[in-house]
Amino acid sequence: MDIAFIFVNAITVAAIYGLIAVAVSITWSSLGLINLAYGFIYSFAGYSAWLVATYVARQYLDPALHPFVIAATGILAGALGGILVCLVVFIPLHDKPAFTSRGMIATLAISLIGSQLLLMAFGPTAKSLPELFGRWRVKFMDITLTADKIGIVVCSALMLAVVVMWMRSSRRGLEIRAMMMNPHAASIVGIGIRRTGIYVMALTGAMAGLAAVLLSQTYFISPFSGLTPLIKGVSIALCGGLGSIQGAVIAAILLGLVEALTNKFMGGQYVLMTQFLFIILVLIVRPRGISGLLDKAREQ
Amino acid sequence: MSDATTPKTYRWKNPLSAWETTTGNDEADSITVADPAMPWQASKGFKVETHPVGRLKYFVVWPAHGARTWDRARWWPTRRNFLNIKGLYNRKTAVAEKKILDRKPIYWLLCLIALALGPILFPENQTNALLTAGATFGIFAAINVCWTLIIGTASIFSLATYAVVGTAAFVTSFLSIQYGVPWYFLMPAGALIGLAFGVLIAIPALRLDGFYYALLTLGLNELFRVFFTTSKQFGSASGGLYGADSFINPDWEPLTQSYVAYYAAFGLLVASLFLFRFINGKRLGRVLRMAPEKREAFAAACGVDYKRARITIFLATSTALGFIGGFYAAQYRGVAYSIFDFQTVLLGLAMVTIGGIGRAEGAVLGTLVVIFLRDVLIEFGPIRYLIIGAAMLAVVLFLNNGYFGIRKQFNAWRAKKRGEWRSTRAEKGGELLPEEATEIDDKDHLYFRRYDKMQRDYLKTLIKPEIIEEHRRQPLGQHSEALERVLLYFRRAKMEDKYALRSAGPHGPYKIIAFSGTRGVSPRLVDDREFVTLDEAYHGVFMRRVHDLLES
Amino acid sequence: MNEVLKVEGLSAGYGPLRVIHDLDLVVNPGERVGIVGLNGHGKTTLFYAIAGLTGWQRGSILLTGKQIGRTRSQGPGRYTHQIVRQGLAIMPQGDEIFQGLTVEEHLDSGAFTPDAWRTRKERKERVLDIFEPLRKLMRMPVGRLSGGERRMVSIGRGLMTDAKLYLADEPSLGLAPKIGMAVMEALLAINLKDSAMLIAEQNVALLEGKVDRVIGMHAGKLKGEASSSFRLSGNR
Repeated sequence: MDIAFIFVNAITVAAIYGLIAVAVSITWSSLGLINLAYGFIYSFAGYSAWLVATYVARQYLDPALHPFVIAATGILAGALGGILVCLVVFIPLHDKPAFTSRGMIATLAISLIGSQLLLMAFGPTAKSLPELFGRWRVKFMDITLTADKIGIVVCSALMLAVVVMWMRSSRRGLEIRAMMMNPHAASIVGIGIRRTGIYVMALTGAMAGLAAVLLSQTYFISPFSGLTPLIKGVSIALCGGLGSIQGAVIAAILLGLVEALTNKFMGGQYVLMTQFLFIILVLIVRPRGISGLLDKAREQ
Repeated sequence: MSDATTPKTYRWKNPLSAWETTTGNDEADSITVADPAMPWQASKGFKVETHPVGRLKYFVVWPAHGARTWDRARWWPTRRNFLNIKGLYNRKTAVAEKKILDRKPIYWLLCLIALALGPILFPENQTNALLTAGATFGIFAAINVCWTLIIGTASIFSLATYAVVGTAAFVTSFLSIQYGVPWYFLMPAGALIGLAFGVLIAIPALRLDGFYYALLTLGLNELFRVFFTTSKQFGSASGGLYGADSFINPDWEPLTQSYVAYYAAFGLLVASLFLFRFINGKRLGRVLRMAPEKREAFAAACGVDYKRARITIFLATSTALGFIGGFYAAQYRGVAYSIFDFQTVLLGLAMVTIGGIGRAEGAVLGTLVVIFLRDVLIEFGPIRYLIIGAAMLAVVLFLNNGYFGIRKQFNAWRAKKRGEWRSTRAEKGGELLPEEATEIDDKDHLYFRRYDKMQRDYLKTLIKPEIIEEHRRQPLGQHSEALERVLLYFRRAKMEDKYALRSAGPHGPYKIIAFSGTRGVSPRLVDDREFVTLDEAYHGVFMRRVHDLLES
Repeated sequence: MNEVLKVEGLSAGYGPLRVIHDLDLVVNPGERVGIVGLNGHGKTTLFYAIAGLTGWQRGSILLTGKQIGRTRSQGPGRYTHQIVRQGLAIMPQGDEIFQGLTVEEHLDSGAFTPDAWRTRKERKERVLDIFEPLRKLMRMPVGRLSGGERRMVSIGRGLMTDAKLYLADEPSLGLAPKIGMAVMEALLAINLKDSAMLIAEQNVALLEGKVDRVIGMHAGKLKGEASSSFRLSGNR
């Protein structure tokens, strides 16, 4: 039971961090922007969902609708946060010299300002969201799967699937992929860099928002609570190779495994250490991550 | 001169007909010829606004020569001059003058003197608070100077700087508390720890590209924080590890303690500036200036071992950072966990970016601004973090390289705009662009080109089928006014590429050649066409010249 | 008013360099116009100026009566996609392609108007009828194609929408003569209806007699129409 329990835990957490990793990956490969403001977007979406849950849903809505309303709020707020970052950072900066480093610093500045604003608005006490998926549980070969774990894995898998499908089959997805390859040629076939930037940032922000809603049931929302998911997400994206979705998914699962095994055999405080050793090993062997060489990502 | 608008009815009278020309053409038909002064008058009338021309570089010019004296004065025991001074004579007045080509040392000296004398000028009631802030400023400025060496000179985008400092501080505090290591051993011990950690985190830097490494170090920072807060040896309830030996004696008066802390931190800052100078301004820094981002491959092909240089700098700086960590522990008797906070990294990044990455003065100025906001204006409350964040964002959005990059960015922007404006105005062919013009010493050349351009513009209006036909009928002898003007211009052409005829025998056939314009270099054959009669050949040359005129 | 393209007093360049000098050009519906000139005389810059890709430009460019030129100098390509969406199909010089996309996705990416996107299947068929060799390469990443095939892809990409003006920049550049000829023929086979096409080319022989007009370009200026020009060297 023990190892299975830890394993299930690891997979659940990996699913959420995987969402942020994919968001980081897509932003980097299509816009060339390293967005470190996902921590802020995460907290922002969490607080929005909390506001709606406490002040709107509880008073005016049927309890059956709560999960949907809260999740939708989180996703929408995340998308809004993404658009904000795009408007403030990407659009003014994208054709300036040293865009990559300046963009990264600008997103860090946004997360500094944003977390301070959240701190001023909501205070340092942590808030928590109601459970979205109820309290039922399933026994499966003497592993107890609680509702939130199944819900988290299913939701993030669904979101990932939707994003991947959308990227593969729609016109916008094609635009985004074209822009990953050659931004100059993209403008020649009528793809506006700035508009596509807004789509990308809204999409990835929505993913961070969903991650916030999912994770905030078990953990808490505080102005700085986005930091851990951000760092985990970034490390997974790094390990999987920036710009590759399947790489990020593989890396999320592998790092989840590493976490589970470390928990089992060495103890909780070594988790980060083993994970980073693993990441560093992967990066030393393949500097562009697990699948950084599989597809031709933006080379910068 | 007659009015250009009323055309004359031309019968061209031969002024030589009184001497009876052989072909007997006293008069010739002429097409309408405009007033030759027309292009001159058109260009003389100022229709466009005039703009200042040339490049201005303002230098303060000091009296007396003195360059020789300054050249002789050196920093003992090096061969380095105090100031880079150029002695010259004024071109107009022939008076001896001198220019200070690089005024940075003077500014540095003034600023450092101001920092050293600062405590005297602090207001009475705030002296202690300001001295404490000043000590923090000194240490953080030293860290940031080292960091800018990593990010700027070595272009390794590492965010783990504070992690190295924090680790060294924690371990040295631990050593001091546990084994009673005295304070003067903390700094060398810190340097050793810094070097060890530098080696450890330099291994991935060898393989990874800039931004992959930045993200990795962001994670490493978090790893260190979690490790130190959760481990048994270093963890305690007080939010940090305190109780290390210090060079500040607790029995002293509080003010004396503050003064010692301030000047110790000031000394540390000066030492880190020397480190910056000795790495960035010497061989390593110059080697890396040859290998800027994205041109590493080229530099490597030129024999620059940029990787080795980068790692050397990284290790040296890590050692220095470890030293600073030991100093930190010795000054504050320990260290708090907050040094590993993401917030600290963000503030540090704000310090480095506000001033400008890659410059020591940028790191120092940025630290000054941020520390002033954070530690002196405490009554502002949390808003001061918003101000810091907003300043950082504004700098990154609008400036290419922080405050000290403004001048360069503005000059580049102005040059670009000026170039665009001028090139939209300039006409090709005749007048030179003002940029070129300021660089040509022989100003006659400029006026000649301008005059020539006007003349060509005028002559182009005269080229009509009539005069070509006239020339074909009779290449030599008296011609109409229009043709005569055109021919006069052609005859005045430079020897270089001037056309001539070469005859194969005494009576032709003829071919067109062009002179090389250089003595001893034979003319070249222009094309293979052969002309049977001389008149035909003359006309061939004429057609070529007309063609060239129209093309120019 | 019914000209497809009307350029008046256009100057353009990069930084202090001025490449195009007060250029006027009118292209009528249904016309194929060849622009001939040597390297560095501004053919590509003219196309870039129409697409808004130059460093700076000034002067008026009317695309079917709508003003798309503007006096501007903020970075190239800022408004290109908007101009392109007004009915411009650019078949650029060199390899402006998306390395990792397949030929099919590539052709899809050319169909940027909603209407073209809906009917992209038929449009692809039409393009494949012209460029038969692409039919069996549809699933291949473009990065692996040969130069001629890439050029076909980039021209086919331009044909995926109903553009009002097609700009083909040196379609035969860098290709073997035979393939260049084939590409050119394909361009000439397109039914223009009331749109128009500008073809820039260094090789006059490829264009002679096949397009409606040939205009020379020299040092940033257009030099008359070759068919009716007053040829100074005519008496040789």
